[in-house]
Amino acid sequence: MGMSTRILCFLVIAGCLPAVITPAHAVPVFARKYGFSCTMCHSSYPRLNDFGQRYRNNGYQLPGREENEQTVLDGPAPFAGRTNFGYNRDRFRNTPKAQNVNELQVGGLDILSAGLVKQNIGYFLVYLPEIRGSRGLAAQSGTLEMANVVFSHVTSLNLNARVGRFEGAWLPFSAKRLLTIAPYEIYDFTGPSGLSLAATQTGVELSGGTRSGLRYGAGWVDGSTTNTSSDAPSDLYLRAVKVFGPGEGQTAGQRLGAVAYFGEARPADALLANERHSLNRWGLDAAVNLREWNFDLQYLRGSDDAALAGRPGNYVFSGGFLQAMYLPSTKWVGVARYDLVNTPDGPGADIKRWTVAGRYYLADNIAWHTEYSRRTVDLFGTSQAKEDFFTTRIDWAF
Amino acid sequence: MKRLVCLGFGLLVLGALLLPTHGVVAGGGFMANGLLPPIPVPSDNPQSDAKIILGKTLYFDKRLSSDSTVSCATCHRPDAGWADVTPVSEGVDHKKGGRNSPTILNAGYIIPQFWDGRAVHLEKQAVGPVANPVEMDLPLPKLIERLKVIPGYCQMFQAAFGTEPTVDGVAKAIASFELTIVSGNSPYDKYLQGNRDAMSASAVRGMKLFQGKGHCMACHSGPAFSDSGYHNLGIGYKSGKFADVGRYEVTKNRRDMGAFRTPTLRNVAITPPYLHDGSEPTLKAVIDLYDLGSVPNPNLDPMMLPLQLSRREKADLVEYLKALTGDPVVVVEPEMPR
Repeated sequence: MGMSTRILCFLVIAGCLPAVITPAHAVPVFARKYGFSCTMCHSSYPRLNDFGQRYRNNGYQLPGREENEQTVLDGPAPFAGRTNFGYNRDRFRNTPKAQNVNELQVGGLDILSAGLVKQNIGYFLVYLPEIRGSRGLAAQSGTLEMANVVFSHVTSLNLNARVGRFEGAWLPFSAKRLLTIAPYEIYDFTGPSGLSLAATQTGVELSGGTRSGLRYGAGWVDGSTTNTSSDAPSDLYLRAVKVFGPGEGQTAGQRLGAVAYFGEARPADALLANERHSLNRWGLDAAVNLREWNFDLQYLRGSDDAALAGRPGNYVFSGGFLQAMYLPSTKWVGVARYDLVNTPDGPGADIKRWTVAGRYYLADNIAWHTEYSRRTVDLFGTSQAKEDFFTTRIDWAF
Repeated sequence: MKRLVCLGFGLLVLGALLLPTHGVVAGGGFMANGLLPPIPVPSDNPQSDAKIILGKTLYFDKRLSSDSTVSCATCHRPDAGWADVTPVSEGVDHKKGGRNSPTILNAGYIIPQFWDGRAVHLEKQAVGPVANPVEMDLPLPKLIERLKVIPGYCQMFQAAFGTEPTVDGVAKAIASFELTIVSGNSPYDKYLQGNRDAMSASAVRGMKLFQGKGHCMACHSGPAFSDSGYHNLGIGYKSGKFADVGRYEVTKNRRDMGAFRTPTLRNVAITPPYLHDGSEPTLKAVIDLYDLGSVPNPNLDPMMLPLQLSRREKADLVEYLKALTGDPVVVVEPEMPR
């Protein structure tokens, strides 16, 4: 297929999309169930607004209407999908083994199912089928990214229990529902322990909140991928949030939060792999909302035991991001973010990333996403590895 | 492989193109704002012409009040969208209640009745205001005494029920009449039926906001635009107290403190003022209130959140609400029996 044919294909598909745009309807699972538009729960899909956050916190039930909720057996089929296709350009400099990308690409497929089994028992499942990559088709590892059951209102304290594989309360800003393709670097950064906060975890989480704006969560999860199947789960986390004013800090209300995570991991060094050593993460975060502007701030500090790093002294890193979002309407959103990860001298390298992105919503569930991101990594001060990423693509939930 | 992917995407786009466009809005979810179904008629009060005529006559008859100055139609005026134009209506001796008169239009679809839901069906609601001291102030035994001495009514009750006037008969007759006050076929209904020109572009944008960012549909759901639920918006909350405790008065459950039943939004544009106390004069004022997340109070409904609506979005919502105005229901006031 020649370049001109591919461009033609892309334009034809993009041209067809406006025909799909119809009055707010038929979008994934929850919206279909209620007959709502996506923007009921999303400020700009996939990012949740305060209403969506409360809906999620309430175990996929509208707060106060739990008795009237339909189960998945009563409503429309509880399945949805998400994919994207468009132009990607990814250029690397001074980066060993990295391969430049310059192509029109279909970028993966998420299959999602969610709903209520009965009152106060909900589930959420995301499956990524395996896709073998080739030119024009992004590779995807087959995985069950999320599969959890949430029991709501377990006690009179308005406590929820989530069990299974999930994105937990340790993340102040969702890594799965972010508005950029570029990740939050500090969440992705593993350090020598191999623990990525952006990865979903298997375990148990208790969470809840009060009418005064206090939100809390605590969990017990498997932790780092370096742990083996025979290791007893030993990672624990706590999160506390205070929201000032009405809202959840997504589009209204001002939010301050703190998280602490303690766990264990095995060293990468095969000779030491029979030992487990400690790690910890702690962070502070804030979300400020001023009318159509949203500002997010994350600071995180991590420490992996010296034995995990194979060096004298603990491996201590820190960083975070500052993100600004402009949400003037449900039609479009602008995002700018600066990510920073400060790693200790020696084996590590500081990571900096600038990202700007815009999403224009052709329909509530179809976004035209354009993004530029530059990532630099300081390599011992001798050279700087750079990645320049540009994409313009259609992001479609159906 | 590439061909397969291309083919797959082609089929996906084609499938999406073939999806029904409207009707999904009407029937896509269990809370969807669809077309009005046939009016539900209670099995213990089937409709009859004689009953409806009797109910209509009673509805307009001021002799159902203690000083013969107030009828049902005084506060639920046919010329004012079958509601009242003042925040709260005046009863006998110019007494004022604390709540706004809701419209009778499509009242047959609303269960339960009254702002606090103290009556489930129209049959229970219909005689409530007659005996209420600040409304019509006529004890029901006295009402029956009055009706029994009016030969015209005796004949009408015989025709409708085969009995002399009774409280039960009065309630059923008025309810039967109110079940005929149905107003559908609004521009929104026409739009749902496929007439894309029935609503303006602004109203269509407003509809999307209603179903999404405006969060309206979380409560104003279903064909009657009401979830029949009770919600606390904080209206009348001041200095730590509610001016009106609402549903709490019926249930004595603290969770219901300051909560009121969701009103229908059909014909809302012709039934100002708004909210249970009639405190907001215009739709725009109501939307402004919602935009702020309503009035903070300890029992505020968790779905009440600031909306961050722009000026244009507010105007679009108003246009959509105007598009919910159905065909007018014209009723000629009957001659009162002697």
